Amino acid sequence: MFSSKSNMLLLMLLLFSIALAACSGTNTTNNNAGSKEQPSETAPANKMITVSWPRDVGPMNPHVYNPSQLIAQSMIYEPLVNYTEGGEVVPFLAESWTISEDGKTYSFKIRQNVTFSDGTLFNAKVAKKNFDAVMKHVENHSWLGFIGLLDKTEAVDEYTFNIVLKQAYFPTLQELSVVRPVRFLGEAGFPDDGDTSKGVKEPIGTGPWMLTDYKTDEYAEFTRNPNYWGEQPIADKLVFRIIPDGDTRVLAFEKGELDLIYGEGAISMDAFLQLQDNDDYETQISSPVATRQLVMNTTNAALSDKNVRLALQHGFNKEAMVQGITSGLEDLADSLLSSNFPYAQTNPAPLGYDVEKAKAYLDEAGWLLPEGKSVREKNGKPLEVELIYEKTDQIIKPMAETLQAEWAGIGVKLNLSGLELTEQIKRFRAGQFDLYFFSNYGAPYDPSSFFHIVAEKSFGIAEALANLPMKDELDRQVQEALATTDENKRKELFDAIQTTLHEEGALVPISYIKKTVVYNKKISSFAFPGNRDDNPFSSIELNR
Amino acid sequence: MGSFIGKRLLAVIPIFLFATLLTFLLIYLSPVDPAEAYLTAAHIHPTEELLEQKRQEFGLDQPLLVQYAQSLLKMCRLDFGTSYVSNEPVWQEIVLRIPATLQLAFSSIALAVIVSIPIGFLAAVFKNSVFDHISRLLAYFGASIPQFWLGYLLIFFFSVKLDLLPVQGKGSFEHLILPSITLALGLIAIYSRLLRTGVLEQLQEPYVLYARTRGIKEKVILSKHVLKIAISPMLTGLGMNLGRLLAGTIITEEVFSWPGFGRYFVEAIFNRDIPVIQAYVLISACLFIVCNLIVDLLQMYLDPRISWKGRTDH
Repeated sequence: MFSSKSNMLLLMLLLFSIALAACSGTNTTNNNAGSKEQPSETAPANKMITVSWPRDVGPMNPHVYNPSQLIAQSMIYEPLVNYTEGGEVVPFLAESWTISEDGKTYSFKIRQNVTFSDGTLFNAKVAKKNFDAVMKHVENHSWLGFIGLLDKTEAVDEYTFNIVLKQAYFPTLQELSVVRPVRFLGEAGFPDDGDTSKGVKEPIGTGPWMLTDYKTDEYAEFTRNPNYWGEQPIADKLVFRIIPDGDTRVLAFEKGELDLIYGEGAISMDAFLQLQDNDDYETQISSPVATRQLVMNTTNAALSDKNVRLALQHGFNKEAMVQGITSGLEDLADSLLSSNFPYAQTNPAPLGYDVEKAKAYLDEAGWLLPEGKSVREKNGKPLEVELIYEKTDQIIKPMAETLQAEWAGIGVKLNLSGLELTEQIKRFRAGQFDLYFFSNYGAPYDPSSFFHIVAEKSFGIAEALANLPMKDELDRQVQEALATTDENKRKELFDAIQTTLHEEGALVPISYIKKTVVYNKKISSFAFPGNRDDNPFSSIELNR
Repeated sequence: MGSFIGKRLLAVIPIFLFATLLTFLLIYLSPVDPAEAYLTAAHIHPTEELLEQKRQEFGLDQPLLVQYAQSLLKMCRLDFGTSYVSNEPVWQEIVLRIPATLQLAFSSIALAVIVSIPIGFLAAVFKNSVFDHISRLLAYFGASIPQFWLGYLLIFFFSVKLDLLPVQGKGSFEHLILPSITLALGLIAIYSRLLRTGVLEQLQEPYVLYARTRGIKEKVILSKHVLKIAISPMLTGLGMNLGRLLAGTIITEEVFSWPGFGRYFVEAIFNRDIPVIQAYVLISACLFIVCNLIVDLLQMYLDPRISWKGRTDH
């Protein structure tokens, strides 16, 4: 029916498409595991777990950050010590340790007979080699407190490894349990010049899993490490399907292409609640992993007044806001650290919703409501503050809008500024804001990292607290608490710091962030890891 | 023909320069500091010292014109810099993802052409028939439904409910079907209506009347003469859409977890990976230019009334 030229064009188009379809399968595989389009799936179906992850797992380098995904790094690489729920640090690749009296030298007895996945031995020499690689780029890791204080590391003998600090720093053990950059790569994985910042030859670790197949942006297949020193995982294989869209994740799960969806915000709250109602699936919510909080900048003229800060706290219904916006997937927070964190203050008196009290505080501060106006004024200046937030955040945006509506009721004008992520971080760190939503780092970083940034500038929190009358004393308490070797003293100091922060009301705890998991009947048991960044897969049990 | 192609290729140069300048200025004017974006993407705490060091490394301390000239020279060598996130050369990362996007783009274009030509043609030939009305409904549906929504609907019915096709991923022919349909439906809606209009216009032309009076069979008139000319506007649309599809089918790639160029770009935006964003905009501009050039050449090949000289004079 078509003309010969049209036919020819159409034919060419089709042939081109078919040729592309045929050839495109062979040119994007970029690992050593072959050129397949799908993971090998050689394990029996009931011994293989398929999970989704929003991003490609990355090059699996234990000493660098993006784009390697923490969860996958933690499957291959292991720490000297492990952080468990509640904040206890337990032996791991180190079976024991001693700390010198001055708190500067940590001496680790390395567990014997631990081998990497290639069969080579893990010992003090390899541990030192890893630390040397990390310290070549110390500036990249300065966020980790003990790295900045590290004087030297020593391989005393085959199974004794020393870490020597320039000054005592109590969170060293917690920080040694983080997923990166202080976990261990096998000798064969190091590049010839030993500088892992440019890449690793192979991802060889001591962990229970080995990366056996990988295709950029599509999947990563992990197989059980036959040389693993600890208890072997029950599953033979674990496949990460890279699915960036949350709704697609849910549909793939319902279709049976996934066995488990795990993470923070991995699926929408509505989808989670819908799956929760389905008897074919199991759902769980973790204990709090971090605190969502509202930071009030005390260098702002209005917010420098404690009465104004307290008025704003009493001026909104926090419980209704958290429940309404997070559908119950986050808990109301009344203290800055959740009770499952070490040194968390228990039961501080909550600053509850009380509009009359809020108004009284504002009156007392001199911010009065002129006749016929809706915004309070003081010396002719309206009570107006700005809240900056990341404009794409689906939880913070409605929270900001709620605050705007609630505070309007007590005569405070809240201006909302939705910003680009980098712009809002930049303004926060420079202290160029009135109000800001912040979330602390979670386990194992907290509470030490949180207290650290209360005193340390350039992270935003110290800048926001700068006008507190007792800020110098607060800083001194933080420094002393992080350095002291006296546990009772430290507890006392952390308690005092939290009391001050709570009473001053510049950091407003809003809600406790939690992780969620959804899984099918193939899985019989699931437990959340104590470390926020760690993987939960080794402890999964399967139904027969 | 050679001089026409030569002139068209020469015209590409100012367009390319304009695209590079625009991209460069947009990034320069954006509030994002490349040094800060780099450190944030690398999870390195941006101290003033580090920021200054990175700004020098990226040449941001140079005068604006020097920065532009340097980036232009690099681009001509296909050196788009290094990704802030992966630390890999951007060009290498793009080359890794382009085949998946090409596969999806060409399969959806092929599907759109195969389906829209008979629909548009028959809708014109059988004007105001039931078939014409159904094709109009299909066009309304295809043109108005958002792509992401169509993608979810297709997944829900064909994957989850009927269990016929995979939900996501790439690998087999089955994986290609739903994303191709998602992309093709909107194109079918446009092309079928363009072709229908074109055929109806051509049927009013005197040459059709003369052909009929000369006793040429209707089938021959329609297929050999009318369709050949009526398809021209559809080819223009094809060129525009091919460029768009090759530049990455962002939403479809996200919904179907298709590991292509568009998805890579979305992640780059979230990570403020400026070298990737810059490369994407430039490559997209080039793809549009090349696709339009190819379509112009095809139109001239199909319709000899459009002379090479005539085209260049316009």
